[in-house]
Amino acid sequence: MAVLFGGIDVGSLTAQAVVLDNGDIAGSASIGVKPNPLDSARTVLMAVLEQTGLEPGDLHFTVSTGYGREQVQKEGLSQANISEITAHGKGAQWLLPSVRTVIDIGGQDAKVIRVNEKGDLEDFVMNDKCAAGTGRFLEVMARTLGVGLEELGPLSFQARNPLELSTRCSIYCETEVLHYLQRGADKADIAASVNRTMAERVMALVRRVGAQKEITMTGGVAKNVAVRKELERLLGIRLVEYRVDSQIVGALGAALVAREMGGGR
Amino acid sequence: MMDLKKLASELPNRYVEEARERGTKIIGYACLATPREVFDAGGFFPYRIRGMSVTRTELADAWLSRFNCGFCRSCLQLALEGAYDFFDGLVETNGCDHLRGMFENWQYAHPRDFFHYIRVPHLTNQDSMDWFVEELELLKEALEKHFEVSITEEDLLAAMSLQGDIADKLRRVYESRWGDEVRVSGGEILALMTLEGSAPAEDFSRLLDEVLAEYPSRPPLKYRARLMLGGSATDEIELVSELESVGGAVVADSFCFGGRIFRGEEPLDGPPLRRLAHRYLYNLMCPRMFDDYARRKAFIDDLIERSRPDGVVLFHNKFCDLHGVENVKLRMDLEKQGVPVLTLEKEYGAAADIGRLKTRVQAFLERLGK
Amino acid sequence: MSGHAVRPGEGLFDRISNLVRVILRVKDDLSDEEVEGLLRALPADTRRNIEALLNPRFRRESILFMKMIGRWVVEGEEAARDPRRRTILVPFNFPPEVIYVFRRGFPLTCEVLTTLGVSMLEGQGERYWDYAMGLGVPDFLCSSSTIELGSILSGCDFKPQALVQSAPGACDANSKIHELVSHLMEVPQFILEKPTEGGARGKELHRRYFRRFISQLEGFIGEELDEGHMREVLEAANAATDLYYDFYELHKASPCPVPNIFSLFTYGTRFTSWGRPDAVEMMRAMVERSRRRLEAGDYPAEREVARCVWLYIGYYFDFLGFFNWMEERGITYLNDVLSLCQPMRYDTSSKQSMLDGLAEAVFEYPMTRQMGADSMSALWVEDMSRFIRDMGANCAVYSGHHACKQTQSVIGQVRGEINRLTGVPVLCLSGDSWIRRMTPTSVLQEELTSFVDHVVSKKGKRGRRSEQEKTRQRQGG
Repeated sequence: MAVLFGGIDVGSLTAQAVVLDNGDIAGSASIGVKPNPLDSARTVLMAVLEQTGLEPGDLHFTVSTGYGREQVQKEGLSQANISEITAHGKGAQWLLPSVRTVIDIGGQDAKVIRVNEKGDLEDFVMNDKCAAGTGRFLEVMARTLGVGLEELGPLSFQARNPLELSTRCSIYCETEVLHYLQRGADKADIAASVNRTMAERVMALVRRVGAQKEITMTGGVAKNVAVRKELERLLGIRLVEYRVDSQIVGALGAALVAREMGGGR
Repeated sequence: MMDLKKLASELPNRYVEEARERGTKIIGYACLATPREVFDAGGFFPYRIRGMSVTRTELADAWLSRFNCGFCRSCLQLALEGAYDFFDGLVETNGCDHLRGMFENWQYAHPRDFFHYIRVPHLTNQDSMDWFVEELELLKEALEKHFEVSITEEDLLAAMSLQGDIADKLRRVYESRWGDEVRVSGGEILALMTLEGSAPAEDFSRLLDEVLAEYPSRPPLKYRARLMLGGSATDEIELVSELESVGGAVVADSFCFGGRIFRGEEPLDGPPLRRLAHRYLYNLMCPRMFDDYARRKAFIDDLIERSRPDGVVLFHNKFCDLHGVENVKLRMDLEKQGVPVLTLEKEYGAAADIGRLKTRVQAFLERLGK
Repeated sequence: MSGHAVRPGEGLFDRISNLVRVILRVKDDLSDEEVEGLLRALPADTRRNIEALLNPRFRRESILFMKMIGRWVVEGEEAARDPRRRTILVPFNFPPEVIYVFRRGFPLTCEVLTTLGVSMLEGQGERYWDYAMGLGVPDFLCSSSTIELGSILSGCDFKPQALVQSAPGACDANSKIHELVSHLMEVPQFILEKPTEGGARGKELHRRYFRRFISQLEGFIGEELDEGHMREVLEAANAATDLYYDFYELHKASPCPVPNIFSLFTYGTRFTSWGRPDAVEMMRAMVERSRRRLEAGDYPAEREVARCVWLYIGYYFDFLGFFNWMEERGITYLNDVLSLCQPMRYDTSSKQSMLDGLAEAVFEYPMTRQMGADSMSALWVEDMSRFIRDMGANCAVYSGHHACKQTQSVIGQVRGEINRLTGVPVLCLSGDSWIRRMTPTSVLQEELTSFVDHVVSKKGKRGRRSEQEKTRQRQGG
């Protein structure tokens, strides 16, 4: 029977779990978080076990990551914990072995991670608290524009004259966007500038780490096609893409580390 | 061993209570450029102002703006709340723009009877040295006049000698971490360093005796990696302890509540105040000094060589100009030397910020392969 | 792959230099049609600010100003290439005539380049700011110095031969960045400290520091100061100073005959060209234009609603939306802490008197005088209250430049004290003075409008008609 490893990633908005057998992903699950990180961990773990027809005891070694990682380990749901930075680097490089730089933009933070050919962390940088480079910024802007978050990317492509958002502060951006709307500006033109602002902000982090090819993007914002395209334009290269949901990369990385720690390959 | 962290978290602490009972005058100061021997010699209790990780700063925010450093805002908040009303006087130094603002507002909004300003030069040369000697003479005269005491050369020499003994003892504890076995945590060292400024010299010396007698019998701490810390002024003992909880043992630091307390020797001859002026001015390892980066860098290199950290974590408080810039240069230079560096911006005292910082430090340890 | 924020030849100095070389070819007296044609050829950001300057109300003086800055930039660049000369980067809180007294020295004032200069560039200073952020420079340092640092870090810019630091400890952010710049460029820095004590003891020490500083410069430039040349430079400075005070008087009339933008030209002139004939010409042109306006009773709005003294500085990223916008709504910008530079006449009777005068000028230079004093608020309050009374201002405004930690740290006191001493209301705004991405112009305009409409207008007028008549009599009009 294959030796199985688990990875649990409890973030601020969603939680994921991945089960890995020696060679591949045996199953994965994703849920919206519950008020308590432990409940989230338990629920998502049960979901993936159910999906794969396994019992908790079948997992040889489990690693937790993300916001609730320490608590999850303390409660015995995992045997070790790692930072989400290592987890994302590890997961992304395993999925695409040529990847050396990972741009991960979640709801609360943005990080750029550089890894080696084994997926080990070489350098990283995270934004410092300002919302302007995170998913939260896009959420606020989508709300101000009165469109769904998922529409913000495609809407950009209808822009004829993208506007210039003079500020990068999310509070003032909201004021400016309202100002444009009052003047009758086209929503698509505003959306294009919002996405461009987001990409420019993230580029500052990319420069700090000194990005190396290939580069990929993970986290919720990776789903925004316009931000991806802007980043590609600024980087001058194409971002490589995955065959799996980019949100499970952290949990996958944790499962890969569980395999290393638990004596798997 | 006594709980150093608990003792360091008290304001006022038992030393303040005892001093007040004895009638000892307590003088508040903030910056390492303040030669405490002058106060010791006059029978004063010099008390180093701390922010105590306070984060509610509504009183201070009426004076300092939200663009000023959180540490100074917290210190001012405590002052305006009356937490430092046990001070009989206040001594300002021009440490940095934020600190100057802190003192200026303190004295404006909640004045102390005795207020004196030591103007510390930003350069080390003969003219500034002469100026600083005069400044110390003016301080001595001001204390003598206001409090009707006399500070003799003998008093100064005795105070300098006692501080020399204290530095030797403190160094033994501090450097005990430089072998492979670490028995005193970084959180405890920071607590001890803050106590250096909130206990009278004799009491602190006795406290060190207790620490020196106790720590060797402790079991060594378990750790994944050895870290050196550096950056903005901080007395956040809890923060350092929390960061250590992810597996990094702090073995050295270049904080001003920390490694910068150790100063080189002063010249052996000359009047005591000149010797003190030399000792304080020429060993001020703070980026507020100009044309002095090489000396600060050599100080850090020496700490790295002797304490053998696996990596260096450089902090700056949000809005701290001096360390914000210094850390850019230090990171560039240390990385060039092959020393792994993590730079972190933090909000002073913010417990909510600790999780964010821990994640980064944990990732740094993982990056170090630990 | 780094996104190419800055490419070779795209450093801020190189780009400013290219722009001013074009400006130097423009006629002194452009017609409306020619202005229209010129504006059409310019990229958007450059167009907006040049359009503000080329307003017919002060077009001639603006062209004169731009050409003065143009000659200064070009000469600085040429001096850096000339092996016999030395171009020295100086900070805004340092009188340029201290370098002009050397025949072979040439001062380039960093902040004039990184604020006024970049405001004319497409994208302004943002790409340099981004570059600095990308290398981990904190975002709370002064945008002006950060822009300079970004350009230097890119390795794609002009390099001076040395750097001067004036009054370390009077502005940490500025001084520390300049120290870093000197390390990164590997050029020497000459530091002149100012003791915070403003009495005789502090001044004596400062004179000693100054003598040491001058002898270091003599060694570096390879030239001993020549009394004759010093006199020539300082007499030119005196001529500009005399005109400065004529100009100062003109501000007292209501409605104010001095266009708002002239405050920018005043310190642009003071900080780059004092001691050169150019400064005299510029000051004279501003005096003459203002006098003509006074005589004609010209004012761009129906009435003067607010007479504001700016306690610190204004905003330089949108001249049209700031200086011109205010003026057209009857809001007069009665100078700020920098343009109220209060230059002093030099005693040119001997080399020693000139050296002492230069030391004094450094000691009393705007910002150094106030922030580099024992108390950061005392002289600031005293000076600004005096200006407010002297100019008959009916309000004061603090721009709230985020990075200025000294003014930020005492503005609470200063606001209360100024209000107590002068009775005028003080508006505290919050915006970066030099980079538009922090607070948009529209937000600043809204707050200013609301202050003027609801606070200043209600406080009533302060006998302006008689003020204007008095000033006309003083000017002999």
